Amino acid sequence: MRLASSFAFILLLIIAACGGNGPEPTAPIAEEAPDRLLVYTVSYPLAYFAERLGGAEVEVVFPAPPDEDPAFWSPDAETIAAYQNADLILLNGAGYAKWVERATLPSSRLVDTTANAADRLLELSGTVTHSHGPEGEHEHQGWAFTTWLDPTLAIEQARAVAAALRSRLPESDAGIAERLVALEDDLTALDARFAAAAESIGEEPLLFSQPVYQYFIHRYQLNGHEIHWEPDVEPDGKMLSELGHILDHDAARWMLWEGVPMDATVAALDEREISSVVFSPCANTPAQVDWLTVMNANAEALETIAAAHRSH
Amino acid sequence: MRDVLFLAWRYLAHNRVKTVVLVGSIMLIVYLPVALRVLVTQSATELTSRAEATPLLVGAKGSPLELALSSLYFSADTPELTTHAEASRIAATNYATSIPLYVRFKARSQPIVGTTLDYFDFRSLRFAEGRNMTMLGECVLGSRAAEILEAGVGGSVVSSPESVFDIAGVYPLKMHVVGVLEPTFTADDEAVFVDLKTAWIVQGLVHGHQDMAAPEAAPGVLAREGDTIIANASVVQYTEITPDNIDSFHFHGSLDDYPISAVIAVPHDQKSGTILMGRYEAPDEPMQILKPTTVIDELLGTIFTVQNFVVAGMLLVGFAALATASLVFILSLRLRQREIETMARIGGSRLRVAGVLVTEVAVVIGMSIVLAGILTLLTARFAPAVVRVLLLQ
Repeated sequence: MRLASSFAFILLLIIAACGGNGPEPTAPIAEEAPDRLLVYTVSYPLAYFAERLGGAEVEVVFPAPPDEDPAFWSPDAETIAAYQNADLILLNGAGYAKWVERATLPSSRLVDTTANAADRLLELSGTVTHSHGPEGEHEHQGWAFTTWLDPTLAIEQARAVAAALRSRLPESDAGIAERLVALEDDLTALDARFAAAAESIGEEPLLFSQPVYQYFIHRYQLNGHEIHWEPDVEPDGKMLSELGHILDHDAARWMLWEGVPMDATVAALDEREISSVVFSPCANTPAQVDWLTVMNANAEALETIAAAHRSH
Repeated sequence: MRDVLFLAWRYLAHNRVKTVVLVGSIMLIVYLPVALRVLVTQSATELTSRAEATPLLVGAKGSPLELALSSLYFSADTPELTTHAEASRIAATNYATSIPLYVRFKARSQPIVGTTLDYFDFRSLRFAEGRNMTMLGECVLGSRAAEILEAGVGGSVVSSPESVFDIAGVYPLKMHVVGVLEPTFTADDEAVFVDLKTAWIVQGLVHGHQDMAAPEAAPGVLAREGDTIIANASVVQYTEITPDNIDSFHFHGSLDDYPISAVIAVPHDQKSGTILMGRYEAPDEPMQILKPTTVIDELLGTIFTVQNFVVAGMLLVGFAALATASLVFILSLRLRQREIETMARIGGSRLRVAGVLVTEVAVVIGMSIVLAGILTLLTARFAPAVVRVLLLQ
């Protein structure tokens, strides 16, 4: 009888073992793909290119706050998680947006828009680097990163954006190609305006308020001097003294600002017969207009300098 | 007939010890070879399923088995290392998604797996709690790793030195746990996942320390050559990445020169996979590309050969045991001669008496087979879990 009850117990065990259910499935990590291709960018120019090229097929997000410089902005974990969920992440390359180096992003969805123009990147000089031990490898000095201020480089970036979009939206291939032609036309026209103005300006020295105009200076062979003045900070004695040293060698009459400078700064420059004009790199989203409008405004500013140079 | 069954049952019940020993012996003779085959088949299924889910592996030339075991199960020795340039090279072909792996370091006994977010999508890993890593110094734990390291979201784990004699080695890195994965019953459960760049921090290739251009860092400066500062070993590196010091973490040299142990290549289609494999056929090619299924099949071929020897041995032992059991039955009949005569004297026909004896043997064998069957069913039911535990260990 005891043997029989043992047998029954084993049978119950088998039934229990065979009848077990696994855990209920839960939601996967990746969220469901949206209807439109979700594109995140690290700068406003790239967002502008993606919007123009992608049209209605893409949703472009550039999450940097408008008052931040995207080159030095550090997104929080939540924003990085949003980047991780994007279908495509457009990078400027040249070390722009340092946070990218320190963040975890899906490499298969990253597109470096200056990868095909690596030989045209400008190396920064004068930055301090270090190595560990006499044989240690040196830290790289870094690259100038405001690449889009050279419209021919901006065209390369637009082409990289178009290629990335076309590979992900093959059904929109013709539309993207058509829009790329239009964008290239705009950038070529912009380049022509800049070039014409620069030719008129010739060797006249120009002051640039920030060290972010390297590609612009290089492209148009301008006699440019980059200093480090903030539009919202009044220059102190040391800054004015440094300016004086530059003026001793090159009597510049114009300073190009990334934003509207303070009245006191304008007055201080006026005393030195230096006029101020705004030439915005437009790295972040402008308040009302778009990137091309800002660049055309920059061209007008340069044309003003050129006209003044001709009349001088 | 009931009387025959009753007498046989009473005899077996009366001689419990003898019955249990006989049933147990015969059950094991039947069960062991079958169970071994079930376990080996299940092991093969587990090993093969992981390999089948991994289309192609690329790594430096060396042992294909080490490359496969390290990349699939995060076990075995670290294979010959290659560089991140190989992952970039595969990605640049547009034939496959390139998922770099750097499996070299450990947090106590658990492997630290440096990879990219694509790995999580590729393996369909789901989070039990927390989120994916977003910044340097964050990690995601497999379910078993979380148990063993006794860490959860909000906690931390510390990397272990590669060798206890590595006195001049890098400092251990304290990594913040931001997510724990659901169990997958694969090697992923054992892993501490980090961003590739965090794995390089563990190695000391990427690091953060005080600004060497600052005056307070002067004692750590060996020399200044133009724009370059050469620092000595007294510069203390950060052993934990915090919002305050994360900006000081930097790379020396190109990322493409940094080491990885393997690249998982996920071809976009069969043709792309074939073309990609063709690119590694050149005799002077320093890399190897392999299909994990091929390597694992070779390994399983060896296991099956060993299994056949073991089963053959078991069958021989089984025959010997059956012969012994038969002897027990025969000797038992001799010992029970008086009992058999008594049954005949009280009216039992020869046929009835023989029926009782045959029924006793049949019941013993029947019970043995039923019990062996039950154990086999249980083995088959729990073999996946048992094999996974064994494989993971």
